[in-house]
Amino acid sequence: MESFAFRKDRNSRIFLCLFCVALLGVIFRLYYLQVVKVSYYRQISEKNCIKPLPLVAPRGLISDRNGKILVSNFPSYTLLIMPGPVKNIRKTIDQLASFTRWETTNLADKIEDSWPYAYQPIRIKRSVDFSTLCVLEERNEELPGIYYQVELDRKYPSCRWSGHLLGYVSEISLEELRKSDKQRSGLGDLVGKEGLEKRYDDLLKGQKGTRYMEVSATGKILGELEDKEPVMPVPGVNIELTIDLDLQAFAESAFYPYRSGALVAMDPKSGEILAMLSKPGFDSNIFSGILTEKEWERLASDPDRPFLNRAIQGLYPPGSTLKVLTAAAALEEEIIDQKTYLSPCYGFFFYGDRVFRCWQEGGHGKMNVIDALVHSCDVYFYQLGLELGLDKWCWYADRCGLDRRTGIDLPDEKEGLIPSLEYYHRKFGQQRWIKNLVINLSIGQGEILLTPLQVATFYCGLVNDGWEYQPRLLKRVVSEQRATSYGPEVLRRLPFSSETLEILKKAMAKSVADPSGTGHLARIQGINVGGKTGTAQNPHGKDHAWFVGFAPVEDPGIVVAVMIEKGGHGGELAAPLARQVILKYMQKESQKLAEK
Amino acid sequence: MRFHGKEFELSLFLVALVLSLIGIVLIFSSKYYSSNPSEHNLYLKQMLWLFFGLTAAAGIFFVPVRFHEAMSWVYYIPAVILLALLIVVGTKGQFGSARWFRLGWINFQPSEFAKLAFIFAFARYLSYTRRSIYSFKWLAATVLLVSLPAVLIVRQPDLGSALVFFAVLLSMLFWAGVPLLFLVILVSPVLSLVCGFHWLAWASFFLGFLLILYYHRPRFGFGLFMIVFNLAVGAVTQLFWDRLHGYQQLRIRTFLDPGIDPQGAGYQILQSKVAVGSGGILGRGFLEGSQTRLDFLPLQHTDFIFTVAGEEFGLIGALVILALFTFLVVKGILIAKKARNTFASFTALGITTVFAFQMLVNIGMVIGIMPVTGLPLPFLSYGGSSMLLSWMCIGLLLAISYKWYEY
Repeated sequence: MESFAFRKDRNSRIFLCLFCVALLGVIFRLYYLQVVKVSYYRQISEKNCIKPLPLVAPRGLISDRNGKILVSNFPSYTLLIMPGPVKNIRKTIDQLASFTRWETTNLADKIEDSWPYAYQPIRIKRSVDFSTLCVLEERNEELPGIYYQVELDRKYPSCRWSGHLLGYVSEISLEELRKSDKQRSGLGDLVGKEGLEKRYDDLLKGQKGTRYMEVSATGKILGELEDKEPVMPVPGVNIELTIDLDLQAFAESAFYPYRSGALVAMDPKSGEILAMLSKPGFDSNIFSGILTEKEWERLASDPDRPFLNRAIQGLYPPGSTLKVLTAAAALEEEIIDQKTYLSPCYGFFFYGDRVFRCWQEGGHGKMNVIDALVHSCDVYFYQLGLELGLDKWCWYADRCGLDRRTGIDLPDEKEGLIPSLEYYHRKFGQQRWIKNLVINLSIGQGEILLTPLQVATFYCGLVNDGWEYQPRLLKRVVSEQRATSYGPEVLRRLPFSSETLEILKKAMAKSVADPSGTGHLARIQGINVGGKTGTAQNPHGKDHAWFVGFAPVEDPGIVVAVMIEKGGHGGELAAPLARQVILKYMQKESQKLAEK
Repeated sequence: MRFHGKEFELSLFLVALVLSLIGIVLIFSSKYYSSNPSEHNLYLKQMLWLFFGLTAAAGIFFVPVRFHEAMSWVYYIPAVILLALLIVVGTKGQFGSARWFRLGWINFQPSEFAKLAFIFAFARYLSYTRRSIYSFKWLAATVLLVSLPAVLIVRQPDLGSALVFFAVLLSMLFWAGVPLLFLVILVSPVLSLVCGFHWLAWASFFLGFLLILYYHRPRFGFGLFMIVFNLAVGAVTQLFWDRLHGYQQLRIRTFLDPGIDPQGAGYQILQSKVAVGSGGILGRGFLEGSQTRLDFLPLQHTDFIFTVAGEEFGLIGALVILALFTFLVVKGILIAKKARNTFASFTALGITTVFAFQMLVNIGMVIGIMPVTGLPLPFLSYGGSSMLLSWMCIGLLLAISYKWYEY
C-alpha cells in the first residue's frame, strides 16, 4: 500500500480542517451565549423562573355516520385561582362563597390538596354563567388571585342515551394523573371518563402545547420568553361513529313506555352498531359543569342503576332466543333434519322424577324443527337437548364465542356466562352433576347469562351466513391531514354450515310471518322480517322480554335485539318495539334509494 | 534515515488525566447541593472508575498491538452477541431504553465496548482487503460490519451511540483513501431520509446530490442505482410521514429522540442554555452556579456535565476544556499518521474519531446546536463504562505511538 502512506499526509490535514471547522462553530456559539447574551441569560437565571404554561388543545368532535355532530365544543368561562398573590385561601374562598352562594365546603380542601402542583393556577369552577361572572368582576378587589379565562367545554346532545354511549369528560383525578403519560397530561386536564370519550381519549384529546413565560420571583408573569417559540397545541382528532342519530333517537322514543332494558341495532354485514340504548340512561351534560351533590346521590343510589350500560354490561338469561343454538347444533350433528318429527308436545315433559313444562299449557302437538322454532316449543327442545348431550351443546356454545367479550370499542364490557363441563365439575364435583342440566340449557335457561350485545352479535353471525363481524362504533377518524376509515373485521366464523343457517332463517321468517308464530307482532307489510322471541325467567320478578329481529330476510341489513327488563312475554312487548326500529331503518334505506 | 526510537507520549497521558480530574471536580460541584444525599459521593465513585481506567490503560499499553490485530474478530463477535443479549435481559433506563447489564452494583454498558471492538474489526478488514473500494462485495461487507452493532444499538434505542459507529466508519474509509465526495454519495440515502420530511429541503438535497454525482462521476451502474435509491427513499418518507397523524409523528420523534422532556419542547436544552449563557466570560465560580445548584437538569452529572463547566468557569473554562480535547485529537491524528503498521494507524484514527465526534455532539447538544442524543462527554461525564473505554483508548494510543516504527 504505497499510496496509503502517501495519502496519510494529505488526509490528516483534511481531517484536522474538518474538525477545526466544527470546533469554530462551537466556539462561536459559546461566544454568543456567554458574551453576547450573557446579561439576558443571567437575568433569567437570577430570577430562575421560566414557567412552561400549557396551551390546551381543542378536543376532537364526534359525529354520527351521516356527519351529524353529536359532541362539539363551545366556549365557556372558567374561574381560576392563582396561588401567588393569595395569602389566605380559606378567607378568599369564603368571600367567593358569599358572592356566589356556591357550596364551597370541599373547595378549599381541593385547592390545598393540589398545592404541591401549585406552580400552575388551579381551576375553581368550569362553565360559570355570565351573570355570576359579572358580580365577581365587580368585586375583583376583594378577591385577590381569582381570575377567569375562556375555555372550551364539551356539549352533548341533551338526551338520556348520551351518557352510556358517548360518556363524558371531567378533570383528571390525582390517581389518573399518577398513572398517566406525563408527556400528555397535567393537572386540570379534561379526560374521558366513560363511553367513547374514555375509549378514544387518546385520539380525541390531541397534544397540548406549551408557552414559555418569564416569571418574577413573586410569581408574577412578566411575558413570553423571547428566545423560545411557543409550541402550538395539536387539536384532537375528530371521530365519526357508526351510530345513526335518527335511528338512535327514534329507538329512544320507541323505548319510552318501558322503564328499563336495552336495545342494540347492528349491521350484520359489517358489525357496525347503528343504535345502542340502555334504559334508564343519563345525560352526559350533567357532568360537564354543574352537578350538585344531591343530583349525584340521586343517580348513584337509584335502584334502577342508571350508570349500568345494560347493552354491554347487563347480564341476562337469553331465554328462547338461544333455542336457535340448540337447533343449529342438532342440525349440524345430523341428529335431526328439517323433516324430523320428535315426540309430540302435550305441554309437559317427564325426565327422571321431574316434570319440565312447556310455556303453552295445552301443548303444541307433533312438530319438526321449523315449527318448534316458530312456536318456540320448549318440549321439542328439551328432547333435542337430551339427544345432543351436554358436552356437545357446550362445545357449540364455546365455538360461537358466547362466553367471551365481543370486544366492542367501549370500556368495561362484561363477558357472559356459558357453562362448560369444567364449570359443572367445579360446581357439583367431578362427574356428580346431573345430566338433565342440558334440558334447561337447551331453552336458554339455567346457568346462562348474556349481554344484549352478545345476543345481537350472535344473530348477526347467524343471518350473515355464519360470518360474525367485530361489533364497533368507530367508523372514521378525521384529522387535519387525512381521514382513515375502518372496514369490517371478521370476529369469527360460526361452526354451522350454510344449509343449517338457511333452515334457521326460514324458521325465524316464519315465526314472524305465520299468524300463530310467536314473533308475529313484528310483521311489517311488504317486508320480510325474521326474528325470534324470548321470555327469560327472572328470579327477581316478572320475566324479561326478548326479541331479536332482522330484515329483510333475503339479504339482512339490520339486526335488532331488544330486551325489556321485567317486560313479560317477549312476543308481546319486545317484538313490536323491534318492529318499529326495523321499519324506521327500512324507510330510511328506501329513502336513500329513492334519492339516488 | 531517522532514528527509530520508542516514544512515550507523556503529554497525551497528562492531558487525558487532567480532563478526568476536571470531570471529577465538575461532578462534585453538580451534586454538592443535591437533595438526594446518596448522590453526594458520586465523585468518589468516579475516582474509583478513574483508577480502574488507569489500570486498564496500563494493562493495554503492555499488550502488543499485533495481538489485537490477530484477535480483532474474537473481540467483535462477542461484542455483537452481548448487544443482542441486551435486548433480552437488559436493564431499563430512564427513558425506557435498555442499555445496561446490571452486574451487582455496576451498570455495564456494552455499546461502549462495542465501539472499540468495531474499530479493531474494521481496521483489520481495511488493512487486509485488496479489493477495489467500488466493488459491490466490498461495499456489502462494510455495510454488514457496521450495521450489525449499529442496528442493535438503535433498537435499544440509543441513536446517539449508533451514530458514533457511522462517524467512525466514514472517517476510517476516508483514511483508507476513499474520496470525500464518494462518501457523501454513500451517505446520501440517509440525508434523503432526513430531508424527505419537507419537499423543499428534499429538492435542494437532490439538486446538490446530482451536482456531486456530476463532479465525481462514479461508475454508471452505481450512479444510477444511487439516484433511484435516493428517489425511492425520498418518496417513501414523504408518503409515509404524511399518512401519519400528528400524535403518531410525535411518537416517532420521541422514539428517535428519547431525551425530549415532559413538555415535549426542549425544556432541558433551554435550561442548559441558560446555565451556560449565565456563566459569562469568567463564570460564577466553583459551587456558585445557581442553575447547577437548583437541580434543574436531571442529567447534569452525565450527559449535561458541560453545563457545570460553562456556568461555574465561564467561557474561559469552556475554552480550556475545548483546548484539551483539541490537543487529544491532534495527537491522535499525528499518531495515526506516524504509525507504520496499517492496522495500528487505522485503529488510532478510529479512536480519535470517537473522541472528536462525541465531544462535538455532546457539547453541541448542551449549547443547543445539535439534537438531543444520549452521548456522554469522554473523560468528563459520570459513568464507569465510558470512563473505562476512554482510558483503554488512551492506553492503545500510547501503545501505538510507543512502537510506531513497527510494521
